[in-house]
Amino acid sequence: MDGPHDLGGKDGYGPVDVTAPPWREAWEKRQWALSKNVPMPGGTIDWWRHGIENMDPVAYATVPYFVKWNLNELAHRVDQGLFTLEEVVAGHSMAQRPPAPARTEAELHAQLQANNTDFSREMDHRPRYSVGAAVRTKRAPSPGHSRLPAYARGAAGRVIAHHGGHLFADAGARGEHRAEHLYTVEFSAAELWGEGATPGDTVCLDLWEPYFETS
Amino acid sequence: MASYDPKTIGDIHRHLHTHMPPDPALRIKALESLAVEKGLVARETLDTWVEMYSEKIGPKRGAEVIARAWVEPDYYDRLMEDAGQAIKDFGYQGHATEHLKAVQNTPDTHNLVVCTLCSCYPFAVLGMSPLWYRSAAYRSRAVKDPRGVLAEFGVTLDAGVKVRVWDSTAELRYLVVPERPAGTEGWSREALAAIITRDSMIGTERDLKLEAT
Repeated sequence: MDGPHDLGGKDGYGPVDVTAPPWREAWEKRQWALSKNVPMPGGTIDWWRHGIENMDPVAYATVPYFVKWNLNELAHRVDQGLFTLEEVVAGHSMAQRPPAPARTEAELHAQLQANNTDFSREMDHRPRYSVGAAVRTKRAPSPGHSRLPAYARGAAGRVIAHHGGHLFADAGARGEHRAEHLYTVEFSAAELWGEGATPGDTVCLDLWEPYFETS
Repeated sequence: MASYDPKTIGDIHRHLHTHMPPDPALRIKALESLAVEKGLVARETLDTWVEMYSEKIGPKRGAEVIARAWVEPDYYDRLMEDAGQAIKDFGYQGHATEHLKAVQNTPDTHNLVVCTLCSCYPFAVLGMSPLWYRSAAYRSRAVKDPRGVLAEFGVTLDAGVKVRVWDSTAELRYLVVPERPAGTEGWSREALAAIITRDSMIGTERDLKLEAT
């Protein structure tokens, strides 16, 4: 989708605040911890991302980073029926449940290590492209969630790596656990940005096979 | 059960943003209160996560990994072959590292990492990302004007050095391996790790300084 999140190549955002730390506010740390540890059964990482992409574009552009996460965590739990809209707006649960036990640092460390999710999958068909192949990305965006940024659509590049099958983000946002061949594709900066680009500079993206024109 | 319906989730987002109190601290408190009251998490567990990401899980991890690669050629080869596996020697695998890819800076290539579509980052080896990494300014410009962005970080590239930007569009995550500076021959892994900065592993710093910052 052409959402507010697709920022690559957009102008006007000004200089980078190069000394900005990871956190400035206590609530930012709190939201990070909540995102790490409040269970959300089911769901996929790309459905989670697609939630943020479907925020009101004005809100996306203006609310702080961790408030986007916060709204998304809340919205997904409302979507799943775990929280009601009324509860979230009130900031309290209408029904108390037995408290969760506190978990030790060792338990959290083990959980973190176990969180190195493997997205690769065995494929029953061969890759269409090999390393060195010329590819061109599709011009038209996927109607739903897509990880092909607008700036890299309709562009010619070269495959520099093949990673086998990886769960396909577009399908994941629909709740489907389906893999496609994944490649790293290198594009010249001139192909993406025109003549002003520095010769020799490149941009590499990880792209699934359905993102390429087949003709 | 998730709806997987973009309109539904978009409508919920709009409702919440319109009706919740605007103060960020209160919004985060609402999620915490609901999660605790519904028995999903204990407040003490959240405290522990905050402590872990304040102290232990940070860029020192990535620096240790790269310092080892600098002094052990076999480990360097393993890191370049499959960084996601190589970091398991340290137990540093975790959030967003299974498909970690190490990319080496050379005298004629400089690597820069970004996520233009969200904020993908190898959290378990570098800790929480700096605010600027998640900012619209960095995400929009790193792919189109990498040299302008690097200049803002004080990095000027010599003539003939090409920039290779890595946009993290799938589940691979990138770790830049900076060049080992001259004058560090014979240094211990600990001394080497102390000069490897977070920004050098993202690519917004190039020439490491011999004194630890």
